[in-house]
Amino acid sequence: MKNRGRRSEPMTRRGKRPRQILMMVLLFFLFRAVPLPGQEFKLFERTVQVHGFASQGFIHTDENNWLTMNTARIGSGEFTDFGANASMQINDRFRVGAQLYDRNLGALGKWHPSLDWAMADYRFKTWLGFRGGKVKTTAGLYTDTQDLDFLHPFALLPQSVYPIDMRDATIGHFGGDVYGQVSLPYKIGSVGYTAFVGYREDSRFSGYPYLLSQYSTQVKGVNGLQHGVDLRWNTPLPGLLVGASRIDEDISTEGTTKLQVFGTTITMPLAAHSRQEWSNQFYGQYLHGRWEVAGEFRRYFADIRAVYFGQSLLEFEDARGWYVSGAYRVAKRWQFGSYYSRYTVASSGGGTDSNLPGNHVFDKVVSGRIDPNRFWNVRVEGHFMDGTGHLGVYPAGFYPQENPSGFKRNTNALVVKTGLNF
Amino acid sequence: MAKEVKLILMAVTAVVLVSTRPAWAGGMKVIANPSVQAASITLAELKSVYMEEKNSLADGTHVQPVVAKGGAAHEIFLRMYLDRSDPALQIYYRSLVFTGKGSMPKAVQSDAEMVAYVAKTKGAIGYVTANASVEGVKVLEVK
Repeated sequence: MKNRGRRSEPMTRRGKRPRQILMMVLLFFLFRAVPLPGQEFKLFERTVQVHGFASQGFIHTDENNWLTMNTARIGSGEFTDFGANASMQINDRFRVGAQLYDRNLGALGKWHPSLDWAMADYRFKTWLGFRGGKVKTTAGLYTDTQDLDFLHPFALLPQSVYPIDMRDATIGHFGGDVYGQVSLPYKIGSVGYTAFVGYREDSRFSGYPYLLSQYSTQVKGVNGLQHGVDLRWNTPLPGLLVGASRIDEDISTEGTTKLQVFGTTITMPLAAHSRQEWSNQFYGQYLHGRWEVAGEFRRYFADIRAVYFGQSLLEFEDARGWYVSGAYRVAKRWQFGSYYSRYTVASSGGGTDSNLPGNHVFDKVVSGRIDPNRFWNVRVEGHFMDGTGHLGVYPAGFYPQENPSGFKRNTNALVVKTGLNF
Repeated sequence: MAKEVKLILMAVTAVVLVSTRPAWAGGMKVIANPSVQAASITLAELKSVYMEEKNSLADGTHVQPVVAKGGAAHEIFLRMYLDRSDPALQIYYRSLVFTGKGSMPKAVQSDAEMVAYVAKTKGAIGYVTANASVEGVKVLEVK
């Protein structure tokens, strides 16, 4: 029997209206095939560039509802996002800009707009620059672009490394970056570096708070300090890039949990704090002609002290994910790709046996992309998944709220997504 | 006689195949605004400028890249110096734009527009076909 899921809240008029407007805009431009160049205008004799994007997706699964959507019956189109930015080059070295972002992904996002980035960037030298403000985090190949699917061959990046429901946990920080590019001697390429210190603040409408809501827990905040470094080597072989990233964090989760005791609702505080929390990421990418090959490994470890109902508990999660991907541009407007993604998790809740479906998600993906013009893209993608990864402390795409009858081991998914960008 | 015809046909085919290869050397030239003091630029520097990894040359001159929207010079430039297709290059620039880490370079439609823009814009670097007029700009040697 297919899991029918349970809508956690009715579709509100507030949620319906932006989606209807967005669909009308998308349909207008699709049928008109109107080119959408980025806009420029002058302000105080400086050029301001304005760019934007919007995308609409649809997911159908044969078993298990996925990514907080009711995908297992007809499917779900609650898979929308859009954003716009403006930036200005003040002088040769100094640039400012900002981007707003909004999305609805099933029970996540819920049309609550956010400041995606807003920063000042001063490039003192090629080997030394500074960024400050709300900054997208440089880590791995795609951390800073993980929600910009029009930049990638795939509608969904490998979820083992870039889980779309946990976007907030990695994508950006309030703080500052030091960065630069250094040419190496003896023609062995160049190294790019980024080091950052910042404050992470997750949306209340992201995956982890939603996962906790199954326990009548309302999360008020997931936030804390983080610092990290990324090093990437542009090797002497043209098109080959290898790199490594490390992020250390000190994250706190606060909220309340409701408990029914003899017919009386008791509200108790919830607090969790990381004693140790870090991630390591290793990656490589090769771009040559029509080919694009990439691979990454990411390990995330969290050792958490949580206080529930006055009791102190120790929790841990050790999640390891990796993928290998390849994409080939058949013609200027056609691209095909595939990847194998593997995610395993050991945790205080699920134990260490990665053979359990609740402790892994293995995903085989095939994808086709067409760009009818420079501004419009369409992706059709198949996912063939083994496992649900739901036993970890943090979500892995499969939520009990949408699967109240339990999980089936395998899930096959059809993902169709279209988008515009200018 | 049939054998000779076949040999001639093979020879003509070989000539046609060879002559339709892209004109790598001499197919295009890199140009710059006269404010750019350098007479030459290394391959690595040129690539770094177009990848927006650097915005100045070794002599300290600020530079900004200009790209063509298409055409023979554009295709040769992409293959010779950037080793990327046009869609891949556009995706790269958009990744900079939508993460706030760079801006979209000026894009032009033709050699004439490229020369005109580079001539009037301080620090601009571009490329045109080998036989394009380069009045008002300087040609950089790529080492």
